[in-house]
Amino acid sequence: MSGDSAASAPGRPGPRPERPVGVNAESAGTQESRKARGSRGSRWGRILDSGLLQGGVQGSPVLRLVMRWVRRPLLPTMRLWRRNIQLRVVVTTLLMSLGVVLLLGFVVIGQVRNGLLDAKVKASQSQATGGFTAASQEADSAANAAGSESVDPDGNPVQNVGEWMSNLVQSLSSGGQGAFDVVTLADGDSSSGAFGPRASGGVDWERSVPADLRDRVGTGTGAVQSYTRVSYTNGRPSQPSLIFGKQVNDPNGDAYQLYYLFPLTQEEKSLSLVKGTLATAGLFVTVLLGAIAWLVVRQVVTPVRMAAGIAERLSAGRLQERMKVTGEDDIARLGEAFNKMAQNLQLKIQQLEDLSRMQRRFVSDVSHELRTPLTTVRMAADVIHEARVDFDPVTARSAELLADQLDRFESLLADLLEISRFDAGAAALEAEPIDLREVVRRVVSGAEPLAERKGTRIRVTGDQQPIVAEADARRVERVLRNLVVNAVEHGEGKDVVVRLAAAGGAVAVAVRDYGVGLKPGEATRVFSRFWRADPARARTTGGTGLGLSIALEDARLHGGWLQAWGEPGGGSQFRLTLPRTADEPLRGSPIPLEPKDSRSSRASGGAGAPPGGKLATVPVQAAGADAPARTAIGPRPAGTVPAADPTALPGSGARVVPRPTGSAHVPTGGERDGERVRDGGPEQYGRDGSEQYEQGEAFRGR
Amino acid sequence: MAVCAGVAAVLLAGCASMPDSGDLRDVESTPRQDAQVRVFALPPPDDAAPSEIVQGFLEALTSDDPNYETARKYLAGDALTEWRPDASTTVLAEGPNRYAVASRTQESDEERVYRLTGEKTARVDAQNAYEPAEGSYRETVHLTRLEDSGQWRIDQLPQGVVMGKSDFQRTYVSVNKYYFTSATRSGQLGTVADPIYVRRQVDPVTQMVRSLLQGPTRWLDPVARTGFPSGTALREGVESLTPDDQNKLTVPLNDKADHVARDKCDEMAAQLLLTLQDLMPTGVDEVELQGPEGKKLCSLGEDRTDAVAAHGAGNDPEFEYFIAEDKRLVRMPVRSSAPAPEAVPGALGAGDMSFRSAAVARDEDRAAGVSLDGSDLYVGSLATASSLGEPVVHSEGQTEGDRLTTPSWDGRNDLWVADRDPDNPRLLMLRNGEGEPVEVTTPELDGRIKAVRVAADGVRIALILEQDDGKSSSLLVGRIERESGGSGDTAVSIVDLRSVTPRLEEVRAMSWAGDSRLVVVGRESGGVQQMRYVQVDGSTPDGPELAALTGVQEIAASEDESLPLVAHSEDGIVRLSSGSQWQQVVENGAAPVYPG
Repeated sequence: MSGDSAASAPGRPGPRPERPVGVNAESAGTQESRKARGSRGSRWGRILDSGLLQGGVQGSPVLRLVMRWVRRPLLPTMRLWRRNIQLRVVVTTLLMSLGVVLLLGFVVIGQVRNGLLDAKVKASQSQATGGFTAASQEADSAANAAGSESVDPDGNPVQNVGEWMSNLVQSLSSGGQGAFDVVTLADGDSSSGAFGPRASGGVDWERSVPADLRDRVGTGTGAVQSYTRVSYTNGRPSQPSLIFGKQVNDPNGDAYQLYYLFPLTQEEKSLSLVKGTLATAGLFVTVLLGAIAWLVVRQVVTPVRMAAGIAERLSAGRLQERMKVTGEDDIARLGEAFNKMAQNLQLKIQQLEDLSRMQRRFVSDVSHELRTPLTTVRMAADVIHEARVDFDPVTARSAELLADQLDRFESLLADLLEISRFDAGAAALEAEPIDLREVVRRVVSGAEPLAERKGTRIRVTGDQQPIVAEADARRVERVLRNLVVNAVEHGEGKDVVVRLAAAGGAVAVAVRDYGVGLKPGEATRVFSRFWRADPARARTTGGTGLGLSIALEDARLHGGWLQAWGEPGGGSQFRLTLPRTADEPLRGSPIPLEPKDSRSSRASGGAGAPPGGKLATVPVQAAGADAPARTAIGPRPAGTVPAADPTALPGSGARVVPRPTGSAHVPTGGERDGERVRDGGPEQYGRDGSEQYEQGEAFRGR
Repeated sequence: MAVCAGVAAVLLAGCASMPDSGDLRDVESTPRQDAQVRVFALPPPDDAAPSEIVQGFLEALTSDDPNYETARKYLAGDALTEWRPDASTTVLAEGPNRYAVASRTQESDEERVYRLTGEKTARVDAQNAYEPAEGSYRETVHLTRLEDSGQWRIDQLPQGVVMGKSDFQRTYVSVNKYYFTSATRSGQLGTVADPIYVRRQVDPVTQMVRSLLQGPTRWLDPVARTGFPSGTALREGVESLTPDDQNKLTVPLNDKADHVARDKCDEMAAQLLLTLQDLMPTGVDEVELQGPEGKKLCSLGEDRTDAVAAHGAGNDPEFEYFIAEDKRLVRMPVRSSAPAPEAVPGALGAGDMSFRSAAVARDEDRAAGVSLDGSDLYVGSLATASSLGEPVVHSEGQTEGDRLTTPSWDGRNDLWVADRDPDNPRLLMLRNGEGEPVEVTTPELDGRIKAVRVAADGVRIALILEQDDGKSSSLLVGRIERESGGSGDTAVSIVDLRSVTPRLEEVRAMSWAGDSRLVVVGRESGGVQQMRYVQVDGSTPDGPELAALTGVQEIAASEDESLPLVAHSEDGIVRLSSGSQWQQVVENGAAPVYPG
């Protein structure tokens, strides 16, 4: 539990791990959830422990450096990506259209390719089949022609198969110059097949006819078709081609392999034409879609951006801002609705302001108007009061009551008037350098009679040196009198200590009592108008209920703080902090809000408690700039439960050390939390200062 | 807005339809596809039978190995070192047949003998000159089993290479080398083509350059002159010559070519350029000669070749001539698609004389005409209308067929004509077309000359020789040798006659149709009349067959191969432009000639 916070802090709960008081249910709930999260977290932790993050990236500083170095140039882009909806939509559209175009391209190209190939295969097939037939017919006719003539010893009718083969290739290939080429190969296991390969058109047979095709054709099962890449010996670039092969018999009846190669040059050209066309069209379509997306999103996003800007200005308080509305489309409707909303808001706020002004005026008027009859009543009452001895005891008592209540009425009226002056902003500060010691002395001596009645002793410390500040002596005296009288009244006869201190640009007066103290939450409420510490107590005693409110207003008028601290049964401390010169912003207070002799401080054994003098001499500003101060300002630790703090309402004066449960007894364990935070001496003080600095800011912002 | 839409519509319409107009562009020449069949030689397989070794070796001879490396893998022993494949190439009608014969010794497992037989058709000698051949081919190949590996290899074989005719046509290509004729006309150098056969796929450029440097082939050597100093060769270490990106060929020569004069060097370059352009018409535009140290001797571009030397005589013919129906000489422009014959100026076209045939000088200034009865030869100018005057040659022949043949002019403006008088057959030459005719000695001639045509270079003459029986006739090409006599006369003789078309039984007409090409109309024994091209060395050139034509009496072709053929056939005077069909020019006419 962090100790204190600004009296009027607008709701910074501070880095507190848990907050058991007042929000028990919520706290339990959060604890539950935290437990759940904790278990989840531990699971995560296990994963991380065994995974790469813990052991990999986080374990190696070099890697982390590299990661950071890689990420740094990407950060602006990522920020732009996160913040710019237009960019996101356009990029997504581009990616999606690119994907669709690619898919479409693959499909279309595949189909065109298959279509081209089908046509080519059909045409080539018939041509090659015709060629195979022609080759075998040639062989038959050559065998028949030579059959009658000389037969060589091997029994072969035709001797010069090689020459016949060359002529055959010549005649077969002359049919389709450029359209196909013919290759003959000797069959691998032919008995007399020693003739070399023949190829037309400069085909490099060895690289063009695949070996597996040769093997397959060599089995003699019929015509075989395949694809290959035909390469040439005469320097022409190689081309993909269709190849047909068949085992055919030469005039001697020996088998040889005849191949037809159909280069797919034209098909390749057609395909690349289609590819080029598709690529161009796809590029155009993608660009077009991107442009369309950009245009559309621009039309939508521009008014949204304008609305966002207007809304930001509205939230900054410039209620007269309106959107520009053109046309009748959805955007225009949005703008109209927005403008109507802004107008209504403005109207309502105006009405509320008028109402509150009227009320203040009413209060002020009523006070004034009541005064005149009251004077008359007063005079009459005085007369009655002086003549009370002549009355019977009952009437005399009534007369005394009348006088008493008239006093109260008068002071109430005066306070009301004062408050209304503050509310109307009519209060003026008449600041001059004064010595606070004198003011304190005056106040203490003024309160002596009351103190004697209560059996209370008022001690003043820290008055060895003059404590000079630019202030309105009358107002400061009123504040201090209020505080001291309050302390004596609630002090239950115990001592009241008034401490003075000055440090940095601030002076402070703290009034400490050891009475009933304050319950949690009361430290804020004490400054509320007509609030009483004990509602059971009759309104007959005590002040008007406006004293602390006026004191707070007085402190604010000085640009200072008035804060309260208290613990149930441990007394309370009220601290007035004023800037040494008027209009100088406050950065801290020379006196800690929670006194050293509080129960939590005492429970810690006072080991870490620094001497008060040192506390006072620590320069607040320097401490505020310190590292711990920054951690205090910085973002909340993730583990903190952001519980609503009822004491941190606007206008609240202070925070009371909360009790874990109830207020009857104070378990020391509960105090330990605060004590833990309290440890740390000057640093802790610096942290205090920084928080108070925050509070000061809050004050000034009001 | 409307304008924008209109412009967009027009643009779209322009893009979406095929263009029907546009700017002019040059058509880039795409290299002709090489449709040649290639034979890939295979090294001998392991444990191949002797017959497979022989067949594989013969196969390897028809492959495109530059130095027959694969074929050499079939050889062993002495054959490896002694076999010279470039010694000769024997061309057989079909590929060589092989028979196993009993070896001289006992039939054993260590050696085998195979006999290669076939019918010879031609032979290409070591100078790469083609020569028709006849007779049967019988050679033996001896195989032995290697001791260490047990493989069969050839250890004795005939020199040179042997292959079938179709393999020869596939593997070899005929190219003309160009030399200067030793007989030169005033100022200009004439060139003569010397056809040789080189292997088509084996770096023909370098082969051609080497062959050119070696000098003309044996047959042409006495009358041809080379511009290269004797002993000139490619610089040592130069393996291959290739034109660069600008179609420029750099030829490094050895020190024999150093210190040649500028005009001599130009002659050398012109020879190279003409030769290489015959090999690849668009491949070489410029030739640069380099001396021994890489010093540039000279370079010659295509545009300057004409200034140094030209094909044949150098004149491009402007007209085709023939004898019209009225027996006068008429002419028509060579390149017109629908020619209208017109009478030539001068006495041959307008005089009283009737002519049977005529010949026009190559500069187309003069013409020689044979009178209708064939007995007299007149020479007249084509430029002026002067009268013809006296005949320059008179024949005493009894019948019309026994008198003068169609005359022919050569590139030196000499006029040639043969007298068919059986009693006094003679071949006459009139120097410059005038004066006393010189009788040409024809020592090897056996028979009567039926037709005579002199090549533009003036050193080759084509004759149709009629056998005495009057039925068969053959086409001969001879070399013209002129020897200056003591008294200023020159003795002209025709030597080394060789038959160009041994297979044709009867040759009816012929004409020069290129630097080394003739067009021949003839008949094979038992065949019908046909017309075809033939090389002067007797080989059949590549290229498409001529469209058939019946009843051809006479034929005329220009040595510029792009000009149309003109023939006198049953349909009168007909013309064949390249890439089209025969077309009739006039119905009646005779004796078509190009200048020459």
